[in-house]
Amino acid sequence: MDLRWLLIPVSMLLALPALANDDPVELVRQTTTELFELVEDNREQYKENPGLLRDELADILKPRSDLIHSARLVLGRHGRGLEREQVEAFAEALSDMLMRRYATGLLEFRSREQVEVLPLSGDNTERMTRVRTRIVLDNRQRIPIDYVLRKRDGEWLVFDVIIEGISYVTTFRNQIGEEIRRDGFDRMLERLQRGEIEVDVDIEVDNSNAG
Amino acid sequence: MRPAIVRSLAIALVAAVLAGCASTAAPPEQRHPDDPWEPFNRSVHQFNRTADRAVLRPLARGYDRVTPDPVQRGVRNFFRNLRSPVIMVNLLLQGRGGELESEFQRFVTNTLYGVAGVFDVASAGNIDKPEGDFGQTLAVWGWEDSRYLVLPLLGPSTIRDSVGRGVDTVPDVAWRLAYQEGSFFLVGLNVVQMRAGLLPLDAELAAAYDEYIMMRDGWMQRRNHLIFGEDAELPDYDAWLDDDDWEDW
Repeated sequence: MDLRWLLIPVSMLLALPALANDDPVELVRQTTTELFELVEDNREQYKENPGLLRDELADILKPRSDLIHSARLVLGRHGRGLEREQVEAFAEALSDMLMRRYATGLLEFRSREQVEVLPLSGDNTERMTRVRTRIVLDNRQRIPIDYVLRKRDGEWLVFDVIIEGISYVTTFRNQIGEEIRRDGFDRMLERLQRGEIEVDVDIEVDNSNAG
Repeated sequence: MRPAIVRSLAIALVAAVLAGCASTAAPPEQRHPDDPWEPFNRSVHQFNRTADRAVLRPLARGYDRVTPDPVQRGVRNFFRNLRSPVIMVNLLLQGRGGELESEFQRFVTNTLYGVAGVFDVASAGNIDKPEGDFGQTLAVWGWEDSRYLVLPLLGPSTIRDSVGRGVDTVPDVAWRLAYQEGSFFLVGLNVVQMRAGLLPLDAELAAAYDEYIMMRDGWMQRRNHLIFGEDAELPDYDAWLDDDDWEDW
């Protein structure tokens, strides 16, 4: 008996993340929905074991992001003369730190909070595009979270996230650039790998600016 | 008493700025393009942090400890409402008619039904909460880029926003009281309650490799977002990739 047909659904499942990849808006919508569902369904389990959430997040997010590109942007001119392996190790460490932060952040959101994905606007090109989303909090505050994507080999991949105007790449770039300038690349990488570098891009609820 | 305090603060500040010559600032060609005065700014930052640790943070922590959250929220709402005229003037100057209307509604609603602004009835009624200040107005009028400047005691700013801050004290009720009646109670309470709101950031600042850069960066990006909102440009990513050898990656 030929059981090869059983493989078809499996291979379709494997191909699923790539399905929506022509359309960056759809990609972001799918991904945020998946993430929020994941957290909703397993919240208690994740609270006990944050490492589990981190791993599952990485499974969802890594194929849809271009971390090497983010790493190159963060390094800028400090990346000159580095070996490819060094940049890859840096990108890996960066992504571990991001997943850790993201996992803690996601657990803090509650189910009532909704995500709106806005249609494209502004100057988007064939190569780069910005997808705007809004998270609606309990108090009706809408927090803008934008994803910046680039097209590589026909696929849209996220390389920066901008929360309330604060870009992860920009923030890392300035912090880590300063650290490399003073201590050198290798020491910075060690610290990052040991989890000693944290860069926060926090959502500040109800921030006023009086004074 | 007061002049003596002012004098010793001034001396401490001058000393800090002079000591800044030996600071860790990057050489001029490597500095952030909007922060050419980094050595000076670092010194003032250092001075501010010292003053904060000695005076403001202890006050803010005390306030935070003795004041229940609902009361803190009420105080925050009260000051937001008190500043509403400043916001309205600036929304008008920036030609933001729709938001001016919301702010007017918000001001009337919260002043009348929210007990002088203590309760934010307007937000519950889904009325928008725009922000406006004179630094922003100057930016809308064309002064878009301005050098980063750390002000003694007041913290991160730019030349443009320092000018804006000064102008904004004119229609500000709390500052009018201070100027005309010599009563600094409201201004002081506002500073303490705002600092209390920023207490959670202290841990992050302490964990930063370089807290000066973290503060500058966070402030500049947030400010940019406040001024340009949805229209804010993306960072200039392409300019950051200066190594063409990697094009084939």
